[in-house]
Amino acid sequence: MPDTTVFSESPSTGLVLSGGGAKGAYQVGVLRALTELDIRVDMVAGASIGALNGAVLACAPSLPVGVQRLEELWIRLSKESPLQTNTPIYLKLLAAAGLTLGTPRLSKLLMTLGAISSDSLLSDQPLKRLIDEYLDIEGLMRGLPLYVSVYETLGGLTDILRCVLADTGLVDTPPSDFMHVQALPDDERKDALLASAALPLLYQARQIGGKNYTDGGQGGWQTSQGNTPITPLVKAGCQQVIVTHLSDGSLWSRHNFPDTTILEIRPQSNITQGSELKALLGFDGASITRLMEQGYHDTLHCIGRVTKASNSRKALQHSQLLLDSSLKRGINQDADLLNAMEKIRLSNQNSEWVNFR
Amino acid sequence: MSNDLAPITPNSTLCQTLSCLQEKFVVDFANSIDVARDHIRVQRQRTGFFARMYDGFTGKGARRQTEINAGLVDGVEASLKWLTELTESMAQSNLAITQVNDRVSILSGSMVELSHYSVDTREQLKEMAYRLDKRMHDMTQEISRIDFIQKAKLNIDITFSKWEAGRFSVLSPAARCYAAMEELHWGSLGDYCRCLENPAHKRREFLQLVIDRSTKQLAVDAAVELQTPAEMATVWLAAPSISRSSNGIDMPQALSWLADQMTIDSTPFIYSAAHITKNLPSKVPLIAQARRIAEAMTHEIFPLETLDA
Repeated sequence: MPDTTVFSESPSTGLVLSGGGAKGAYQVGVLRALTELDIRVDMVAGASIGALNGAVLACAPSLPVGVQRLEELWIRLSKESPLQTNTPIYLKLLAAAGLTLGTPRLSKLLMTLGAISSDSLLSDQPLKRLIDEYLDIEGLMRGLPLYVSVYETLGGLTDILRCVLADTGLVDTPPSDFMHVQALPDDERKDALLASAALPLLYQARQIGGKNYTDGGQGGWQTSQGNTPITPLVKAGCQQVIVTHLSDGSLWSRHNFPDTTILEIRPQSNITQGSELKALLGFDGASITRLMEQGYHDTLHCIGRVTKASNSRKALQHSQLLLDSSLKRGINQDADLLNAMEKIRLSNQNSEWVNFR
Repeated sequence: MSNDLAPITPNSTLCQTLSCLQEKFVVDFANSIDVARDHIRVQRQRTGFFARMYDGFTGKGARRQTEINAGLVDGVEASLKWLTELTESMAQSNLAITQVNDRVSILSGSMVELSHYSVDTREQLKEMAYRLDKRMHDMTQEISRIDFIQKAKLNIDITFSKWEAGRFSVLSPAARCYAAMEELHWGSLGDYCRCLENPAHKRREFLQLVIDRSTKQLAVDAAVELQTPAEMATVWLAAPSISRSSNGIDMPQALSWLADQMTIDSTPFIYSAAHITKNLPSKVPLIAQARRIAEAMTHEIFPLETLDA
């Protein structure tokens, strides 16, 4: 893994873009609000769709340009869905599920899924095309440090089963790995991004450094260690991090990072409308527009609340400083006044003495 | 990426926001509310039987509640810290108000003292102005008095200079003396002597000076010793033989005109000096010293009654 401590002396505001499939449009609204609030971001970490959003952002010469590119990308996604079935595998699956007689369907389906777990149900060609179009490798090398989370796979079905087990609270999934994209060899950068967004079974795993990786959101399932990748930013020296969530009531806990100042952008109303699967894969125009607006307003709300509290506190501190300064000046003036009055008294006494003479 | 952003100034929103992020407890305090609301919203939605069973079985419900509780504890802790600081700040403010109040009290006292001082100073200045005014008035009067005396002295000097220079030489010695007396009477000395505000002893001193200088000049003109009596008719009233120039005729006539009001009884010496008479008035002696004539004429011009008035 790349050494993340090389950026320890760099500026310390990080941005975490969690994974959440089509709900990633929410992050575009978040970034638009951050741009309007003139907040500078020094490094980015993302998982799954957050990794792809983060990559587009890191390639851009500035945050406003990055946000503009992301808006264009997501509007395009609303028109051209990146989900395209992998036809041969799909037919094989159909055959396993419905065309075989005399065998229990579920067991046959599972067996077939196990057999095709090294392949994928969806083609990654649309994603590759988008990455080729929007990912400027030179810009990426000059841009913000980008970290992505990836999960070492044991096969698509096994990965899903491990996640299901972790969700029941019995056994947690192994932690995700974090990759510093700019530190990877040229030929592995795009693979790292594709791996981070490769939902098990749906997309093909990617081989990096001799290991197969899929969607980084699966690691450390119970604590969202992989899906909300703040760890590489903290290790890189970020003292303040803005974290975006793409799920309602995420159980990721800020209390696991007591030494870092964390500002969470959480949905103020349900981000998931309908089923979780539909929200995860629903790249339709209405949802994307709604999520962008929601992300924008939630960010203004969350940061506005903090800013208001902080500004009032700063005003109090400022007024205290002014008061201290004023009191110090007053003490000096008191001494001057006393001296002046003493002179007047002495002058009075002398003039009385002269009159007496 | 940040290199292409606009320059950051201390007043920019960026700095405000970043500085607010630097105070972790404020961020935790404010942000925990949104975090807790997110959890509570989900908690309220998961009230169905199977959801509650699932959350209870997986421990998600407990973990969510723990997060809410932790957020609340953070909030209470932050509130305590903030309240403590606010209380300290308020205590400091109250202390400052007390100091300001004390200072205002001191200032009021000083103001009162200053007011008294100002009033006293004003009174003293008024008194000093009055004294100065009086002093100036006195000095002006003194200067006027000195000036008056100087003018009188100058009048005497000029008059006797004329006499010594022979400007009255067409007249008899007694007439010369009278002419000089008239000059003095209408001049500054006359003004001085008529002004009753001038001290009598000073007027007497002047007249004594006039008598002395007249005496001396009479003796010189008559070519007699000061103590030597001389005949009135042939010496003191004897007119010199003169050419018949206009001055030689006009001056005795002018003198006679000046003495027009003089009577033989009240001013016998002047009368005899100014008018040509065959017989001397009875009050005029036949022989006399120069001082006798000078004294007599002086007192006829400047009567003693007026001096002593």
